[in-house]
Amino acid sequence: MGLLDRFKQALVAGDAEAAAGLAGEVAARDTYSAGRILAALSSAMEEVGAKYETGEYFIPEMLRSAAAVEAALQVLDPYLFERRPDHAGVVVMGTVRGDVHNIGKNIIVSALRAAGYRVYDLGVNVSAAKFVAKVKEVNADLLLLSAFTTSTKQALMDVISALGEAGLRGRVKVVSGGAAHSPELAREVGVDAFAGDVKSTLAACRELMGGA
Amino acid sequence: MNSRERFFAVLAGETPDMVPVVPVLDGYFAPKVIGRGNDECWLDDSCLAQALAAAQKAFGYDGAVAEMGLGRHPNLLGCRVEVKGNQVPLVVETLIEDAGDLAKIAVPDPWQEGKLEPVRRLARQLGSGIAILGSVRSAFEYAASVRGLVDFFTDFYRNPQLARDLIRACLPATLAVGRALAQAGADAIVIKDSFASTSMISPDHYREFAFPAEVEAVAELKQMAPVILHICRNSLPILPEMARTGAAVLEIDSPVDLVQARQAVGGKVVLKGNIDAVSVMEKGSRADVERAVETAMKAAKAGGRFILSTGDSIPSSAPAENVAALVEFGRKYGKY
Ligand code: B12
Repeated sequence: MGLLDRFKQALVAGDAEAAAGLAGEVAARDTYSAGRILAALSSAMEEVGAKYETGEYFIPEMLRSAAAVEAALQVLDPYLFERRPDHAGVVVMGTVRGDVHNIGKNIIVSALRAAGYRVYDLGVNVSAAKFVAKVKEVNADLLLLSAFTTSTKQALMDVISALGEAGLRGRVKVVSGGAAHSPELAREVGVDAFAGDVKSTLAACRELMGGA
Repeated sequence: MNSRERFFAVLAGETPDMVPVVPVLDGYFAPKVIGRGNDECWLDDSCLAQALAAAQKAFGYDGAVAEMGLGRHPNLLGCRVEVKGNQVPLVVETLIEDAGDLAKIAVPDPWQEGKLEPVRRLARQLGSGIAILGSVRSAFEYAASVRGLVDFFTDFYRNPQLARDLIRACLPATLAVGRALAQAGADAIVIKDSFASTSMISPDHYREFAFPAEVEAVAELKQMAPVILHICRNSLPILPEMARTGAAVLEIDSPVDLVQARQAVGGKVVLKGNIDAVSVMEKGSRADVERAVETAMKAAKAGGRFILSTGDSIPSSAPAENVAALVEFGRKYGKY
């Protein structure tokens, strides 16, 4: 099995130590393009997401893989940065006001980092003003909003209108997701895209960034 | 037969006149019955007890939940908890970073903190004819809250010993609150183990981390009152173990089919469930409530040992009409 395959396998297995070690080998070997490395990372998270959807993995297993991704990225960040200063995009993400669910958000944050995005995670129970300030500060391409309870509809709409008031709505694409979501809710609230799991989230972000 | 007799008949394995209706109507929904906000009642135990009593009187179900507001939450163990507006309490500062912090966990004396007095008043006010269900969190759930759920679950692989030690350290809190509730007049103790379901963790992790603490808590608390074990979301794969904890009643949620649940646990244990608190109670119509109740009765009423309930807490935004409909159709379809 090739090095990148073993690397991916360690990520899927959630073995942070092995993943960090293999990440070091990947960097030392210096033959892989940043694109290939990121593809290994993000396909690992997609596989983890799929295992969760089918009931093979549970939340601790997903969190374990997300931690392995973070450990590998710590090792790889300098390497990737040198070879690919133009990352996939700048993302601001958080769970909206009144909502404290963070597990799904954390998984998506790791998956996006694995796919090469620079992600600013604002945490949970985040106000519209805080989202807007961060989007402005880091000149974000994408704003990802997690919302898990139905009662957060107003909070989502508040973010959208605060972006409008700040004159940012045209500059940043907004994606929403989370347990209480439906495409209808997303449409009502007025976000640009909605997604349900790791794979579809990565696809939606790619599309909004203008990629294939 | 009054409500309390109906409830106890089911626990004794007898066939009552009709299936008792005991929804999980707690600090989420009750405050609005007396026109108060969630935050007010979470912070003020008298307000909460008053709301819980008023809700039972308004809807006429057979058993009322009795809980301490913030006392149900991990601030009782020394965590800082914040309540804002109409939100549920948030843990704003977790307590445990590593094993060195375990000593920080306080064993609460619910009586000393005065939190039990309102529960006692509630029990006295409703207690003779209505079953009173004291509600406490499991050691596993307290542990998750004082550590933070993400770190707690991560510990299962990174530092399982810390997870085990932490659960152990939280067990006295569950026992102290449970005992105090029984002393205050609760007829049964509900142990909430909301993070132990297989919607969250694998059956193996349930057996390793959650189950042992459940066994200990049930063994201890059932000396004072019958125990109801609550695990919301999917619990089908672990139902046989749940039955083995010695709990008299298993509270099961809407993802679990009642017929399959009965097959999994055998004939002795009482099942309580499983109307969906969100899709039926919060978002459904009166007709949806009727359909759900009829389905549940068809699946679980025959042979007794069944209590009609919601699978989880009724959300504060659920319409009162649906709560009324739950009781109405519970009576209509519940006659033996
Ligand atoms: C764990 C949990 C909690 C924990 C949260 C702890 C924590 N640190 O996160 C606690 C106990 C605090 C909690 C509290 C409450 N909860 Co809760 N909770 C859950 C539970 C059981 C699991 C959530 C989870 O982590 N799932 C695993 C992750 C991986 O999946 P996920 O969150 O869906 O995320 C995935 C996708 O949604 C997506 N995704 C996530 N974010 C984003 C963002 C974007 C932009 C995109 C594109 C995609 C995306 O990717 C993730 C990976 O696949 C769910 C039930 C369930 N099975 O979903 C209920 C649930 C979300 N909770 C619910 C409710 C109602 C509540 C409460 C109001 C209390 C109650 N009555 O139960 C409070 C509200 C607190 C608050 N103000 O936020 C409801 C919401 C229903 C609704 N329609 O409103 C659910 C669905 C349960 C139910 N009853 O049906 N809860």
